[in-house]
Amino acid sequence: MKVTVVTFRDIFQSEAQELDRFGEEYRKMSAVVFLDKNDASKAGIKDGSNVLLESDNGRVVVVARLSEDSHPGLAFMPNSPWSNRLIPAETDETKIPSFKNISATVRVTSDGVPTVEDLLREMVS
Amino acid sequence: MAVCTGCSLLCDDIEVSIDGRRITKTKNLCRKGFGRYRSLSSDRSVPKVDGKQVGIDAAISRAAEMLRDAKRPLLFGWSCSTLEAQRKGIELAKRTKAIIDDTSSICQGEIVEMVIRGEIPTCTLDDVRNYGDTLIFWGCDPSSSHPRHMSRFSYFPRGEKLQRGHEEDRTAFLIDIRASPTAKILSGNFVQIPPGGDADLIDAMLAVLDGKIPRVRDKKAMIAMMNTLKKADTGVIFPGLGLAYSLRGRMDRLKALVDRLNEYTKYNVIPMVGHYNMRGFNQLLFDETGFINRVSFADGIDHGPMYSVVEASKSCDLAMVVGSDPISSLPAGIAKALARVPMITLDPHRTLTTELSRVVIPTALSGIEAGGSALRMDGVRIGLDPIVKSEYPSDEEALSMILGAI
Repeated sequence: MKVTVVTFRDIFQSEAQELDRFGEEYRKMSAVVFLDKNDASKAGIKDGSNVLLESDNGRVVVVARLSEDSHPGLAFMPNSPWSNRLIPAETDETKIPSFKNISATVRVTSDGVPTVEDLLREMVS
Repeated sequence: MAVCTGCSLLCDDIEVSIDGRRITKTKNLCRKGFGRYRSLSSDRSVPKVDGKQVGIDAAISRAAEMLRDAKRPLLFGWSCSTLEAQRKGIELAKRTKAIIDDTSSICQGEIVEMVIRGEIPTCTLDDVRNYGDTLIFWGCDPSSSHPRHMSRFSYFPRGEKLQRGHEEDRTAFLIDIRASPTAKILSGNFVQIPPGGDADLIDAMLAVLDGKIPRVRDKKAMIAMMNTLKKADTGVIFPGLGLAYSLRGRMDRLKALVDRLNEYTKYNVIPMVGHYNMRGFNQLLFDETGFINRVSFADGIDHGPMYSVVEASKSCDLAMVVGSDPISSLPAGIAKALARVPMITLDPHRTLTTELSRVVIPTALSGIEAGGSALRMDGVRIGLDPIVKSEYPSDEEALSMILGAI
């Protein structure tokens, strides 16, 4: 399923980040994507499913959550090292990355959600 | 009273009870600020060189050596440091002929620059509380990002000229993509737009002001909103990251709207700066160089996009990161380029960036363990007094030690 990924700030995630960027709580709050209920249902994605998000820039596995509000075609992700896997490294002449308007696909996966340590290992590989 | 450095509101009404180094009770903190205070005892960084724990002096002298040897160093971060530390940072950049940039380079820089240059009018948050009767929150979610913004300053309080508060005297609109927690508060005045739809919305708003029919689905609601905006005594626009990213490179559109609204009545702009002293760094660097970010001191003073953290991460031969976690916050492809560069990081906490740094210099937590001053999001200077002692130096002290050792 094609979606436009938009990142946002979440107060609970910010609190978890203040306390421990390597902790399970921060991962739980960050490695997540909020999908429209109807979109998710059409794509066979359930609340709590692991999903693979892929953009032209990269891919990442996170947990799907279904939003109360309707937002067809949009996928909301808390801004984090997980969402940053999808953000293009190439920028326009402003040199400001495009954090809030990313074309991506999303599908159910049996792969696990990476830890911060996994992301760091890939960073230096 | 203590000050919270959890965001750029710098709330200065925090009550804290302390037992030794332990904080036993706090009052008035929001959830985010409470997290900042609790972080005093969680996951603190330790001095390291090449992955091995060392004494702080060894970490400082290794950092000085690396800076001395670097040909094209990048000094990045700065938005979570005091003004006093930032001043030392600019001095260090001059001394090492470095590129210096801060987090505004990848967020609110364009809008903050217009405010600092006086290209768009601004006011203080106290002015907003007392006189701001018509507000536009745009591409932001203060309930999550600046949790006490609406209660201390902008929406709920009764101000000097607004004794009936939000119930009667204040009107606030929210323009955003997402039905955020703030959208729940302002549900009657929530204008939902598609991603990247901000410029089109501005065109529609300007069309109404020109007496034309706006090209939007709900023309009636748009005309009603513009009538309300025109009738304001004192209007304030709070641009967030949503607007900053959507309009990047086209901030003349925001300026056009603000100028046009000012033909009717007074409209000011206060960007929703995230980190507690980003505004301070931008102001200091501007006063020193005429630019708010992206400056190179390699040959006099030079400025441009090639000195942005995004570009400099690919071209520098050393990065010193102060109070920031670019490995976490940059797009992965850019973070990967930065990870290939030897890094020195000054931070109170363990971060993704400290994990990949050759040298880690732990620092005291500003406002809790270290004093100084900072500029609130509206440019008002707020003093910080430490409430507990730290075993590690403040950013300012650590930077002074590095300067002394170079």
